[in-house]
Amino acid sequence: MKKLFSYNNKILAGGLLIAFSTLVSCKKLVELPGNPPTQITRQQAFSDSASTLSAVVGVYTYNQDNQGDGFAYSDANLTIATGLSAHELSYTSSSDEQEFYSYTLTPLNSEVATLWQYPYASLYQVNDVLGGITNNSNLSASFVKQITGEMEVTRALYYFNLVNLFGSVPLVTSTDYVANAQLPRASASAVYTQILTDLNNAVKKLPSTYPSSGHARPNLYTALALLAKVHLYQKNWQAAYNEADSIIRSGGYSLEPTLNNVFLDGSQEAIWQLPIESSYDGTAEAANFMPYSTGVTPTFPVTDSLLNQFETGDQRKTNWLDTSVVGSQTLYYPYKYKDYYPTSPATDFMVFRLAEIYLIRAEAAAELGNLSAALADVNTIRARAGLGASTANVTSQAAVLAAVMKERQTELCFEWGNRWFDLNRTGKAAAELPGWQSFNALFPLPQAQIQLNHLLTQNPGYH
Amino acid sequence: MNFYPLTKRARQSRRRPLHQLFRIMKLTALIITIAILHVSAKVVAQKVTLNEQQVSLDKVFKDIRAQTGYDFLIGNGLIEKAGLVTINVKNADLKDVLKTILRAPLTYEMVNKTVVVKNQEISFFDNLKDKAAKLFVLPTDITGRVIDSLGQPLVGASVSLKETKYNTLTDNKGNFTFSSVPQGKYTLIVSYIGYSKLEIDIQVEGKDLKLAEVLHTATSALDQVQVIGYGTESKRFSIGSIAAVNANAIEKQPVTNPLLALEGQAPGLAVTAMNGVPGSTVLVQVRGQNTLGASSLGLKPYDQPLFIIDGVPSATGNANISQLSNLAQAQGFTGGISQATGIGAFNDINPNDIESITILKDADATSIYGSQGANGVVLITTKKGKPGKTTFDLNVNSQFNEVARPIQLLNTQQYLQLRKDAFAADDLTPSSNPNDPGYAPDLTIFDQNKYTNWQKIIQGNNTNNTDIHASISGGTANNTFLVSGGYTRSDYNYPGNFSDQRYTLHSALHNTSADKRFTLDLATDYGYNQNNSAGFGNQYVLLPPNTPDLTDGNGNLIWSYKGVPLNTGNFYKSLKQPDNLSSFNFNSSLHLNYQILQGLTFGVNLGYSRNTATEHSIDPSTAQDPSYIDISASFANNSAQTINIEPQINYTKTIGKGVLTALAGGTYEKNSTDASQTDAYGYTNDDFLGSINGAATTYPYDNINIFKYVALFSRLKYIYDQKYILEFSGRRDGSSNFGPGRQFGNFGSIGAGWIFSEEKAFKEAFPFFSYGKLSGSYGTTGGDASQAYSYQALYQTVSYVSDFQGIRQIYPYNLYNPDFSWATKKSLNLALDFGFFNNRLLLNATYYRDREGDQLVSYPLAAQAGFATVYGNLNAVVQNQGWEFSASSTNIKTKDFNWTTNFNLSFNRNKLVSFPNLAASSYAGQYIIGQPTSVIIGYRYKDVNPTTGLFEFYAANGTVTSHPHYGTAAQGGDEVVIGNREINYMGGFGNTFTYKRFSLYVFCQFSSSEQPNYLSAVYSTIPGTMNNVPEYILGKYWEAPGDHATLQRLASGYSSSSINAESAFNQSSGAYGNDTYLRVKTAALSYALPDAWLKKVNIKNASLFINAQNLFTITNYKAGDPEQPGSFTAFPLQRIVAFGLNLKF
Repeated sequence: MKKLFSYNNKILAGGLLIAFSTLVSCKKLVELPGNPPTQITRQQAFSDSASTLSAVVGVYTYNQDNQGDGFAYSDANLTIATGLSAHELSYTSSSDEQEFYSYTLTPLNSEVATLWQYPYASLYQVNDVLGGITNNSNLSASFVKQITGEMEVTRALYYFNLVNLFGSVPLVTSTDYVANAQLPRASASAVYTQILTDLNNAVKKLPSTYPSSGHARPNLYTALALLAKVHLYQKNWQAAYNEADSIIRSGGYSLEPTLNNVFLDGSQEAIWQLPIESSYDGTAEAANFMPYSTGVTPTFPVTDSLLNQFETGDQRKTNWLDTSVVGSQTLYYPYKYKDYYPTSPATDFMVFRLAEIYLIRAEAAAELGNLSAALADVNTIRARAGLGASTANVTSQAAVLAAVMKERQTELCFEWGNRWFDLNRTGKAAAELPGWQSFNALFPLPQAQIQLNHLLTQNPGYH
Repeated sequence: MNFYPLTKRARQSRRRPLHQLFRIMKLTALIITIAILHVSAKVVAQKVTLNEQQVSLDKVFKDIRAQTGYDFLIGNGLIEKAGLVTINVKNADLKDVLKTILRAPLTYEMVNKTVVVKNQEISFFDNLKDKAAKLFVLPTDITGRVIDSLGQPLVGASVSLKETKYNTLTDNKGNFTFSSVPQGKYTLIVSYIGYSKLEIDIQVEGKDLKLAEVLHTATSALDQVQVIGYGTESKRFSIGSIAAVNANAIEKQPVTNPLLALEGQAPGLAVTAMNGVPGSTVLVQVRGQNTLGASSLGLKPYDQPLFIIDGVPSATGNANISQLSNLAQAQGFTGGISQATGIGAFNDINPNDIESITILKDADATSIYGSQGANGVVLITTKKGKPGKTTFDLNVNSQFNEVARPIQLLNTQQYLQLRKDAFAADDLTPSSNPNDPGYAPDLTIFDQNKYTNWQKIIQGNNTNNTDIHASISGGTANNTFLVSGGYTRSDYNYPGNFSDQRYTLHSALHNTSADKRFTLDLATDYGYNQNNSAGFGNQYVLLPPNTPDLTDGNGNLIWSYKGVPLNTGNFYKSLKQPDNLSSFNFNSSLHLNYQILQGLTFGVNLGYSRNTATEHSIDPSTAQDPSYIDISASFANNSAQTINIEPQINYTKTIGKGVLTALAGGTYEKNSTDASQTDAYGYTNDDFLGSINGAATTYPYDNINIFKYVALFSRLKYIYDQKYILEFSGRRDGSSNFGPGRQFGNFGSIGAGWIFSEEKAFKEAFPFFSYGKLSGSYGTTGGDASQAYSYQALYQTVSYVSDFQGIRQIYPYNLYNPDFSWATKKSLNLALDFGFFNNRLLLNATYYRDREGDQLVSYPLAAQAGFATVYGNLNAVVQNQGWEFSASSTNIKTKDFNWTTNFNLSFNRNKLVSFPNLAASSYAGQYIIGQPTSVIIGYRYKDVNPTTGLFEFYAANGTVTSHPHYGTAAQGGDEVVIGNREINYMGGFGNTFTYKRFSLYVFCQFSSSEQPNYLSAVYSTIPGTMNNVPEYILGKYWEAPGDHATLQRLASGYSSSSINAESAFNQSSGAYGNDTYLRVKTAALSYALPDAWLKKVNIKNASLFINAQNLFTITNYKAGDPEQPGSFTAFPLQRIVAFGLNLKF
């Protein structure tokens, strides 16, 4: 019995030892490798220029909020929402899009929610890159300078669209989510101040050459293009004129003689064009606008009011619009992007192109009283479209401005909300858009965001 | 052979100096052997036919046993005493036979199905001798042995002399000893978990006393063994709040997912079937929702318990294992609660292989699971072999199913009239022009007389399901085995060749070493499940009934009708885009145990659980419009595994009048999940769709998650005098899910119980009480709802996107917060148990109050922060308190007719107790202090304005409007609390009737809550637009001024001016209503074939049965299934009827 007891004592002691060593090594047992196999830590992401560049191009192609495609306004959201609001497009589909057209938008509209959310998700990416490269000894000064400039242009572009869609918006320039989540709306002028700060800084940092092949990442003229547009919207006519002029004079860009090549990779007039994100699908614009099959009703047919603006012989009507015959009806749809499938050469997604810069210079010149210069720029655009010179009275500023606006309408339709913003900034919306009321100039803030941040206030008219 | 001669085991008493004198008077022990027999439920004739000539009693007993099944228990030497017997009887009564063969001094006593043969009353002479002996009385040693029906010793049984200090436990040979027991009359009490308590009067008077007593197994639910965390216990001495559902309740339900068989069966357990797709997941929740929103904006999470199968934490839990679109993924209902469905891994477990499912609810039961136990624990125990003859058991059934609660939709005439009314209401003329606001191809282009009942086409097909389950089991007392295999095929009543097929193999081995010190238990489950379903398509029940033909006679799809594209509504497309999922489930547990010393054992649980799901879906050219062919396929793999190592030490010791059991152990767990998906595009040919290589372009995605977990745990339980129970349990946990410094936490509970029915005074005052227990516990558990690594900021590679100029893109994956840790739940539980009429009626009432604080949430952030959520602890407290009642009763117990009833009823009340600074938080519009977490905030609905025909609501200032404002009053809107989605009460009751060879089991389940009503489903599309609606709304909508209608005027399309009021309606109290139902969940009728007939074909048992699930429902829910409120488009729940045969060889 005694022997057995001592034998068991050994077992017992052994058991206790195991238990004790388990206790001691507890911390080790819950240790994991530094990062999961399918992710890297933020520190690793900015450990060298290659991975930093991965994060930078992540900004250009991927939106972490919708976990998928898109630069800023994926799924052609911005184009559709503003196109419907400006009555460039009509609708045949569901209610959320219809609300833009009929000015019955509610704060619950799901498209409005994405117009608000996606830019902020991308802005986090931008701010995180800026934070990651600041004081980072792993990166060369020139590389940091280039990337900082690119991110500043990108940030400015996001805020430019946000402020035009929603008015005053929270101004987020860091990744401090605790503070950022509860920021109130900054005034529109504060937002513009930030935009100008970013762009002026970028202008100092970016070279006139592109950092990679094509025109896929911002250079100096990309910054200037946005700067020209911002000044135009701010009615800083001279500044707008100067920036646009410097781009045109740089000689780096020229209008594509063939309309069908404007949106293709390698376009001569592209100031910033992003490669499409899929090697199988085309741009989101093409997917949304082109009916999947002939004889099928396009989701967003072009309105008669826009069709009527195309003069006889306007090549843009035949090259940038297409038709679908449904029964006895001929329905037009946007056809700037023709790549339901990827095309060869590839279609890129145009952010800025020279034609817009011509029209910015034209408008600024007209506002400055240089009416003939303004008409000359308009005529440059018209000539490319196969039209003769404008018949506008060169002595009437109003007539010249109207000619510029008409050319903007037909040249820049379905691009980056230009028509919608033009009508609102020039005060012509009420006259041009039946049913439009002044409060419709801004979209409502998404109701969910107001619930999440009680400091946000709703735009007037949307209660 | 069930003969148990009483062994004479004289044991030397310890000699003490004082007693030396009386050495000659040394009294040998009183020998007691207590046999504990398994109850045999067989109905056996008590008539015997014998023709024996001069044989030993032994032989006669054997023959009687063979004929009657009665066991015999005979004192040592008594057989010899009886000598040889001769008997010749035919169909004689057993009692008469026994009288004949047992001559004085032998007599017998029958206890249940055992005949105890013993000496007759002590003779006068013996008595005299005894009295003389008493003059020299000495303390006596009592020894005995406790064995079971196979003669195997029961180790650790509690033996005591009532109201004395004599308490002991049997040793590893089943022996026990009481030293130096003074003379007197005693009550010997023997108890052992799973066997009913035995009380025997004995007399210690310094003389050999031969006693033979029988202790039979429990017939009372009170003494049945129930599985608890790291052990077993009987209900009698349990303090924890535990509910168990046993095999006999599970087996009778023709369901494929065992969790579905729990619906209504256990108090405090809410089980919700999400849709009727075979193989789909089932929602399970214990005692309400403890956590606040953890998922993305607006969606509230649904707490689910920890699932443990044979001691191994399930690798997948109750999660969806499918990644691609399939019919099972359709949302069951909406309303702000995250309840995504899909295919569940539990579907890979055959319900027929489950012995019991135990639900642990309070801290006493769950604290031992520490940080993982906050939402309750569900323990699934699979079947083990039983000693005895090798038995082959075969169960075959064939099933038919149909929609349990179909909705009547409009026919063409009714539908077209509704559409015309809608256009009239909008002052629009139906137009064939797609660009016209009045575009209505169904009114202007489609055939006005064509009628297709889409519901019948989509949900009305005949099914023919098969379920086969066979098992072989048996073994000796030391070695048992069980192997079973199953095949189940569940059809859909959906068209197309889709089904869920499951193959399972279950095995269990048990070994006890010859010296009884070492035991081994190995249980292994394999399951292979093949679930083929359409990728989507059930929503097409709402297609206009005059939709043109969508296929030609040869099964080719038609894509347009007179210029109207049919692509968006082509139901048949979905049949050609199947999702095929194969899942492989493996669960294995090995439990080794070694007894080091009397009462001290060391053991280890080793477990491995793995589930692998492979999924493939295709979009072939035959499913696509020929003008735009995009042949593609998706391939997904999903695997999850858990490795679990748990060393344990158990110690049992008698201390005074009590028994102390102690458990100490540790856990090491590693869980990893690995998901990948490849979307493949650009196939040139449908035939290549099975291979990724055939694609021109592929987009891969993968995600790997690792979780490690360590813990030390212990439990102490002390039962004093079979009356007072005290229990402590504690656990120290470490989890890799939390940042450094936050990984470790402590959890514990204390519980106490008082079996007051054992108190003398109580017994005397209330003799009809056979059992009464008051118990309570208080303790903590934790909630760990986070993901691995989420405390640090991570970057991830993008998916589904091409390179950017040759550079692979990365993006921020989450926000940085190293400071979060688990939520802490504090639970109070009080319970009162009663047993009446010898425990034929058992009642339980339980009160509990759970409070979860330090809420671990994915805190919703305003979009401007860049991410929708961030993990963090929130200083908010959610309380669930409630009452649970259960009863089980044997109402009638006669020879031919038995009737038993089970009943349970639960009330849970959920409340957000505190939330500092709620108004300034992201949750301001989502939760309200004092309200349940499922609170619904919306507009207060008034009625339909008779003049405008629009829905009307109360604004915040009390005025009436058809255009209420968004937001709560604090936000300047009109939204107020309009209800909540808590279950007000739920429960179930089952009755089992057996009459001779017939057995009928009827189980009803009921539930009452406030849910989206049928109008919520009606208004999820707009009545009057190009969608079918239930017939129920006809005659209810407003048509002309002055109408007092239930529903507002129709709208022909989204441009209708009545749209705003319609969308407000779905956020108003008008779209919610009381949802109460009583469902005859299970009805099972079986008939056992006569034995005489079976003997001829050498079959032990055979029965025929009909089992039905969801037989019918009584409800106030107007259209659709009350279990799937607010949706007409989720795949409906099914009524299943199974016809089958069970054979035992």
